[in-house]
Amino acid sequence: MRVDYRIERPACIEAHFELRGLTALAGRSGAGKTTLLRAICGLVPATGEPYAGLPPERRRIGFLPQDSALFPHLTALGNIAYPLRGPDRLERARELLGRVRLAGLAERYPAELSGGQAQRVALARALARDPELLLLDEPTSALEPGLRDAVFEELRAVIEQARLPALVATHDSHLAQQCDWLAVLDGGRIVQEGPPEEVFSRPATESLARLLGFRNIFGGRVARTAPDGEALLDTACGSLRARWAGGRAPAGEVSWGIRGEDVQLLPPRQDPVARPSENVVEGVLRSIRRQGLAVALRVEGPVTLDLLLPRHVCEGLQLAVDQRLAVHLPPQYVRILGSTGRNNHPAD
Amino acid sequence: MSRLRPQWTLVLALAWLAFLLLPVTALVTHTPWRHFALASGDLAALRVSLVYTAVAMVIVVAFGTPLAWVLARRRFRGRAWVEGLLLVPLLTPPLALGILLTTLYGPYGWLGGWFSGLGVSLTNTAPAFVLAQVYASAPYYVVGARAAIEGVTPELEQLGRTLGDSPWRVFRRVTLPLSWLGLAAALSIAWVRALGEFGVVLVMAYYPQGIPVKLWVNLQDFGLPSVYPLLWLFFLVGLPLPLLLGLLAWRRRPQARPDAAGV
Repeated sequence: MRVDYRIERPACIEAHFELRGLTALAGRSGAGKTTLLRAICGLVPATGEPYAGLPPERRRIGFLPQDSALFPHLTALGNIAYPLRGPDRLERARELLGRVRLAGLAERYPAELSGGQAQRVALARALARDPELLLLDEPTSALEPGLRDAVFEELRAVIEQARLPALVATHDSHLAQQCDWLAVLDGGRIVQEGPPEEVFSRPATESLARLLGFRNIFGGRVARTAPDGEALLDTACGSLRARWAGGRAPAGEVSWGIRGEDVQLLPPRQDPVARPSENVVEGVLRSIRRQGLAVALRVEGPVTLDLLLPRHVCEGLQLAVDQRLAVHLPPQYVRILGSTGRNNHPAD
Repeated sequence: MSRLRPQWTLVLALAWLAFLLLPVTALVTHTPWRHFALASGDLAALRVSLVYTAVAMVIVVAFGTPLAWVLARRRFRGRAWVEGLLLVPLLTPPLALGILLTTLYGPYGWLGGWFSGLGVSLTNTAPAFVLAQVYASAPYYVVGARAAIEGVTPELEQLGRTLGDSPWRVFRRVTLPLSWLGLAAALSIAWVRALGEFGVVLVMAYYPQGIPVKLWVNLQDFGLPSVYPLLWLFFLVGLPLPLLLGLLAWRRRPQARPDAAGV
């Protein structure tokens, strides 16, 4: 399914992208993700396909707004039965309630449901509409962090069972990674789309890289390139081997980056012979911070690198602030993120 | 000290309520209980008040609700002006409003002439009585209904659309159930306002006599004691609707907190 939409108010957005299976629409808060979803629903004036010009009630879309928005005057069952017609509507609603595994809560009012339960009722209600497309707006952002994965996993299972294309707006890069396809909205247009692992490993621009969680982004100059995308960079931390996403890397000044998770800490007392021979950077450990189940380290050397290490790795190393460290930047993870537009021609 | 505060607000609230109801105590003490009797024509006045006020309320709701919806939901240029102008009938002293209405709808007014062409006289007739009550009470309903509709989250209405309902069906299935208490409160204010209206009705429709005008007539023709029995009758028919609504609002409170739900 293809989406081509043009919105002028409240924000100028021009979005063209593919929808494949469970598709994530990623972007910063305020990038216009909600506006785009609401436009596809027909709630915001827009031009585009599918559903051009139809009023909302004639578009076969199941819409899950942020915070689920159940009707407070109806029970869980009443909410699901809302879009249904005919004498057997309650029976069909009951069946949908069973599909989201809430059969016992039919008579509960929304105020008596937990956030995750409300989200599942909202999904069942959207499915009751018999949609050909599902739109989910930040389905997990109103939930406690511990619940997010479980709730999303359940939504995903029901959506897959219903065999419906679905578009999930999210600013959570973790959630975006779990989808089948990823489109990134930035500056009012789709800046990149593709399978999540591809978009995450090869963000097309520096701004996109930051959006997708690249913490370490620096400037450099391309010294040598190969047709397969391998390149040698001159950087503040010396010569680095790096990769470019498509074909031969651009010449001249570029930005490059590496995800905090991809930087490898070299054990302090390691035999020098066992160390990698290239892409090693030395520095001083400036801070150690817990970040969920991981530990964030900041290493200051020729450049300042942020590392994200699993807890168990970190605990074995007995690290202390102000300690000297060496880190390895594996060449396959050092990404050239695009030309910075200066000195692109060797003649300059 | 902060623990005492709720007690004080309670005392203050009760004192104010007592102050507002003070005139009724005069009614209780001055009613000639031994010789309690209605004056001739009182029951006819009761019938006029009940039937025509009910008709007026149908008109007030039928035409007031769409205006309230537009004011609550639509953003348009000059909305603030409309809201201000809406209060003009309330601002106009009742006597003056009655005079203006008679000038307009009376036999020599341009609208009155048009209506009498249709065979409808709008002076001292049932339609004139209803019209006077509509003017006196409609703005109260619109203001209250607007607030009630505004209290319904617009996202819920939009969601109703995405679930396949036309705007009218959404109003019936989402807006109305979520705002009916507020709408009913607005209606009950309009009801007591219309039922008790004297000034506008006096000028425009002295006949058919409703209770407020009949009170005036009783005072003039039979003296003060004949006022009290009719006033009891008036409270007897006027109060049930507001009381019922107050009761419903009170009963509904523990059932759910609709506004606190995940909206």
